[in-house]
Amino acid sequence: MKKYISPVVCGFAAGVLQVVPLIKSFSCCLILPAAAFFALLLDQKATKSTERIQMSKALLFGLYTGLTAAFFGTIFEIMITFITRQNDIIIAFPEMQRMVEGFPLSPEIKNEVMSIFQTVRKELMDTGFSWIYTISILFNNFFINSVFGIIGGLIGAQIINSKNKSSEV
Amino acid sequence: MRFILRLLIVLFLTLWLFGVFIEWLIPVFPNIAAAVPFLQKSYSLVCHQQQQKLLGESVYHSLVCSRCAGIYLGFYLVSIVSLFYAIKKEPKLKILLIAAIPMIADVILYSLGFYDYSKTLALLTGVLLGSAGFLYFYSALKKLIQELSSKKN
Repeated sequence: MKKYISPVVCGFAAGVLQVVPLIKSFSCCLILPAAAFFALLLDQKATKSTERIQMSKALLFGLYTGLTAAFFGTIFEIMITFITRQNDIIIAFPEMQRMVEGFPLSPEIKNEVMSIFQTVRKELMDTGFSWIYTISILFNNFFINSVFGIIGGLIGAQIINSKNKSSEV
Repeated sequence: MRFILRLLIVLFLTLWLFGVFIEWLIPVFPNIAAAVPFLQKSYSLVCHQQQQKLLGESVYHSLVCSRCAGIYLGFYLVSIVSLFYAIKKEPKLKILLIAAIPMIADVILYSLGFYDYSKTLALLTGVLLGSAGFLYFYSALKKLIQELSSKKN
């Protein structure tokens, strides 16, 4: 378990950056790959190793970073929504309504789309919790963060390996 | 790397980009409008989605900012090249560094107020970094496959 402490630390940081209001406005597609890269770098520093990083290890580190970010991201998001009874869906609802109104769709489709969101919004405002919302963010977070973590881990290992190779020469 | 694997990468990236530009497809497939708000939430994980930085001017917008869209486009374009042309050479670290410089410079210069945010510049610098990033990803994936197959044997 100690072996994977750096992906947990970096994944936690990425999870916070993705969820906490205000900080998340700095969110970018490079945050998670960067977290996976730093997890590998931290591990190298901690073990004082300059050996070539195996790609299978990079893949696992990236995956663990992504999963940790997804785990904490989901928990924080659910907790913040539960406490404040506010979240992106509620805040963006009027804008979403305008956006859907602007689409060249039949009134039936527009109503159908809006009714799904009305239900979720109402549940979130009344109780601070919605099953549809929770399942959708759980699935989203785990899938997207894992993929981005793996990509970051693989690219990060390539960078660290080439850096180590050039410093040896 | 096998053609089928390269094709899978291209297909995955096509799906991802399909999501990024989904709003433009609504006139063709009206029913996908129902997925837009959900996808918007999904892409918010990997982009700030500030309205003024999204691609598109009128009704339809990309679901990620110009810079992120550029990175994905760069990744996608080089993945298509890799489908027809086997990239054998391992990319040097300086390629990634050189590709990152315009993006970093753009972020610093517009943040310091030297000029206003330009969607075109953000897109182009993103494409450049994304292209170099794919070379690294591709090379890493090749090594991973080699490692796994040597472990198997």
